[in-house]
Amino acid sequence: MIGALGAKTVQDVVDAGHFGRFAWRSVLTSARGCAARRTYPLVWTQMNQIGVRSVPVIMITGAFVGMTLAVQAYDQLAGMGLEEHLGVLINISVVKELGPVLAAVMLAGRIGGALTAELGTMNVTEQIDAVRSMGTDPIRYLVAPRLLACLFLTPVLIIYADLMGVIGGALVSFLQFGINSRAYWDLSAYGVDFWDVGVGVVKGFFFGAAIAIISCYKGFTCQEGAHGVGQACTEAFVSSFIWILALDFALAVISKNIYEIFWPIKSLVG
Amino acid sequence: MDDTGNRQENARLPGIVEVRNLTKRFGSKLVLDNVSLSIEKGKTTVIIGPSGCGKTILIKHLIALVRPSEGQVYFEERRIDHLSERELSRVRTHFGYLFQEGALFDSMTVAENIMFPIRQNYRVKNWREIEDIVKAKLAMVGLDGFQNYYPARLSGGQRKRVALARAIALNPEVILYDEPTTGLDPIRSDIINELILKLERELAVTSVVVTHDMRSAYKVGDRIIMLHNGKPIADGDADYIRSHPHPVVQQFINGQVGDDDLAVLRMNGSAGSAQFLPRDFEQ
Repeated sequence: MIGALGAKTVQDVVDAGHFGRFAWRSVLTSARGCAARRTYPLVWTQMNQIGVRSVPVIMITGAFVGMTLAVQAYDQLAGMGLEEHLGVLINISVVKELGPVLAAVMLAGRIGGALTAELGTMNVTEQIDAVRSMGTDPIRYLVAPRLLACLFLTPVLIIYADLMGVIGGALVSFLQFGINSRAYWDLSAYGVDFWDVGVGVVKGFFFGAAIAIISCYKGFTCQEGAHGVGQACTEAFVSSFIWILALDFALAVISKNIYEIFWPIKSLVG
Repeated sequence: MDDTGNRQENARLPGIVEVRNLTKRFGSKLVLDNVSLSIEKGKTTVIIGPSGCGKTILIKHLIALVRPSEGQVYFEERRIDHLSERELSRVRTHFGYLFQEGALFDSMTVAENIMFPIRQNYRVKNWREIEDIVKAKLAMVGLDGFQNYYPARLSGGQRKRVALARAIALNPEVILYDEPTTGLDPIRSDIINELILKLERELAVTSVVVTHDMRSAYKVGDRIIMLHNGKPIADGDADYIRSHPHPVVQQFINGQVGDDDLAVLRMNGSAGSAQFLPRDFEQ
């Protein structure tokens, strides 16, 4: 029992080491890839796969987040006579937390699963070994373009989700609850500033990188057979989801501290 | 060398690829056990042995696709097993590797597959020239005209020939063949054997063929090495292997099941006890 626990712990540490090394190599190779022109067509292809085709699902996710928030929050605010503040509540929740996190979770499911399945299949059919055997670094050829595409496009997709969340929340507030639109937007503009939107968008870089690295790693290390690929996809989604939540918490703490440091300066300038 | 006691004593040419005291373990499983051998330049070396004996792992070591647990691998007297992936990229362009299932990129056409190593390793400016190279390589394997096909539309034998065309795209000095005839009918197998001989003759390459197809081994091999339990147990030309006294070698080359295997079959149940009728599952 103790021996098995020890062996499992050692294996987990070894796996974490492998993942750390893979992540480090991926980031370094991607940084080099930014300067190499021959990487651009590969990144462009991945941007189409990852970004363009994710726009509809991300917009739908964002819209429903805003609409649901409006329905859930209206009664509480109306009970206090603060229904015109509904826009502040919806918009700050959407742009700072729910928009980025739910968009990232949706991307982890859509893109992460596809990346892991594609690379996992390439792995079990020896296509990744074939890339290596022809003198090409698979991290450069397969991982870096996907990582760069996720890194650049996740923040953009989060902006789409935010936009649709704001529109969805506003439409429900105006059409279903009859809230005065002018008061709604004035209070929203007062309560939500550029910092809040920026924090949400910056999270996108971290979420995108996490989704790409985890999904590619799971694909590269997947076990043989259909079961192996399926299991790798599941593990990729679960790991990405946990990393998104953990990163969200860490970034919330960091952004709060940064805001508190600079807030006095802002009030002086304002 | 007489470490196995079964090495045919002949004058050997210098080794282009060498493994020294190579041991490979996966967890507690020993796959290769202190293997030392030298692949002679310009010759075809065939590695035979039963499934799971470590043949594929051994040739993957030759190009450092797998790293040894112990021992070293040398290419042209330069140690390569400890190099980084980046340093290995250059070394690997001297090799062509035909994978067991071809490992063609299924998202690319046949032409794109063959262009891949060229585009990855050289700055291509003249596309016409690349197309001519692709045409020449495909003509060499008898598949000119298949440039725009996707691998999914090809038969097993055609896929292997395209994979071979891709393997020779960079004019390698060494070609590694992993089970080149497995899964093919006898005619298609013989086409692949003829191709191996043709490439050896026309391109003067060194070939290493891993197979358990003895017909293929005898036809293409200048030298045949038999692996058993991760160790070479016989090493010589086709005649030497045919007359080798080791019972495991004789069983393998003649396709005879051993007494140990038969004993397992006899001990683990009879045909009668393995038959079931629907009523056996009814309450």
